[in-house]
Amino acid sequence: MTPQPQSALAQTSELLPGFDHAAFDSNAVFRALLDAMSRPGRIYDLLVSVSAPDGLNKAATATLLAMADMDTTIWLSPSCATKAAGDHLKFHCGCPISTDVKQADFAVARISDDLSFVTDLAVGNAEYPDQSATLILMVDEISDHPSMTLKGSGIKDTHSLAIKGLPESFHAWRAENHHLFPCGVDVIFASETQIAALSRTTRIEVN
Amino acid sequence: MEQTVKNPANGAPDYNFAYLDEQTKRMIRRALLKAVAIPGYQVPFAGREMPMPYGWGTGGVQVTAAVIGPNDTLKVIDQGADDTTNAVSIRQFFAKTAQVATTEKTAEASIIQTRHRIPEKELREDQVLVYQVPIPEPLRFLEPRETETRKMHALEEYGLMHVKLYEDISRHGHIATTYAYPVMVDDRYVMDPSPTPKFDNPKMNNMAALQLFGAGREKRIYALPPYTKVKSLDFEDHPFEVQTWEDECGMCGARDSYLDEVILDDQGNRMFVCSDTDYCAERQEAGHRGPQHHDQPLGTADRGKAAE
Repeated sequence: MTPQPQSALAQTSELLPGFDHAAFDSNAVFRALLDAMSRPGRIYDLLVSVSAPDGLNKAATATLLAMADMDTTIWLSPSCATKAAGDHLKFHCGCPISTDVKQADFAVARISDDLSFVTDLAVGNAEYPDQSATLILMVDEISDHPSMTLKGSGIKDTHSLAIKGLPESFHAWRAENHHLFPCGVDVIFASETQIAALSRTTRIEVN
Repeated sequence: MEQTVKNPANGAPDYNFAYLDEQTKRMIRRALLKAVAIPGYQVPFAGREMPMPYGWGTGGVQVTAAVIGPNDTLKVIDQGADDTTNAVSIRQFFAKTAQVATTEKTAEASIIQTRHRIPEKELREDQVLVYQVPIPEPLRFLEPRETETRKMHALEEYGLMHVKLYEDISRHGHIATTYAYPVMVDDRYVMDPSPTPKFDNPKMNNMAALQLFGAGREKRIYALPPYTKVKSLDFEDHPFEVQTWEDECGMCGARDSYLDEVILDDQGNRMFVCSDTDYCAERQEAGHRGPQHHDQPLGTADRGKAAE
């Protein structure tokens, strides 16, 4: 048997770096996520620079670096599940990566993907609604153009949000998801440099 | 990987930034995001041993440690006061382990950790209020079993809480609960606002700042996002009311703040002062005077006279 030239995991020299400062950068990313989740629809800039592996964008990578570890299972949609992305997350987060979407704590997909998997995401149960998945949806552009009007907890009057290329089917799923409250899936939209979130409490009117 | 700060104390070892290790902070941060997404629901988390006893704010400290960054300014209050043991030691803890700026001024703080009061000054959108919570479960004294209270929350079965408030009325003629007064969050979860006086309950409603609650011994985190409906439980014929005082603050003359009673001697003399020390100091700086302020002429110490 000839020795394999490369192990199954990438050589460390091929890996991209994670955060420059683990404590400060993960805190900065978390604070943006906390603000985004507590004020649904408001857009926050990603204040740290990270390198994104093939298959992920920067804001999604930063979110995973800040939030994922050995206790969280990640599911990557087929268009995100590159070897580079898998190696990057395994090396920096040490997180299990599953191909079963039902197992996911964080599910990552691109807005152009087939989003029919969302109905399989964990929504928690009546006694433990926190045992639900979070969907990280990579998008091209987030703006406050009023294509959606958001209301609910965390929103003073209304917030406006526009996500380029958001399909009809997403809104149908989201409306159902909102009715499951307190169960449900929370959504984080991640463009290259910005994030915005939809909490399960958020009511959406599509204009 | 982990950033350490040099501890200025003699020969003490280096800590990770804000004391907790990064994995613990991630675990708490994930719980916080869920708590914000489900307002009023108690998220279980793997609370750690902290270098202070349970009951001294281990839950609040863990939440603050997960949230605080190097650019934050921290204020800590204990019953409204910045200068009590608990507040001073927690403030020093973060000054030492995170090297953050600290303040006693409500307006200058980006994170305010509190034990049992909400500052009198209205909080802003860019501020976070972190509560230290001893017993997070509002139904615990009515139903000791966690499995049952969890089911009651799941089924929105809050009749027992109304019975408790009704028993107050039948026994005392009014709702006698004065602190840890239960609230309904966003028309779904009954929540314990931590043992704040009920005077503070209305401030929670539609607050611009994010409110986070940490219970260290009970290992629960819950949250109120900004602009969330928080309603104190009551009855149509016995509406919720806050405490009122006939007296004013002896130092600053405030009539709108929460007052502490201070016994002055064994002759029955007493005075009332603002529980919120920053609020009181700010009013005194602005020239407001109460009857017992040391600026007041001698002989006018009788309550009420100096104000005339």
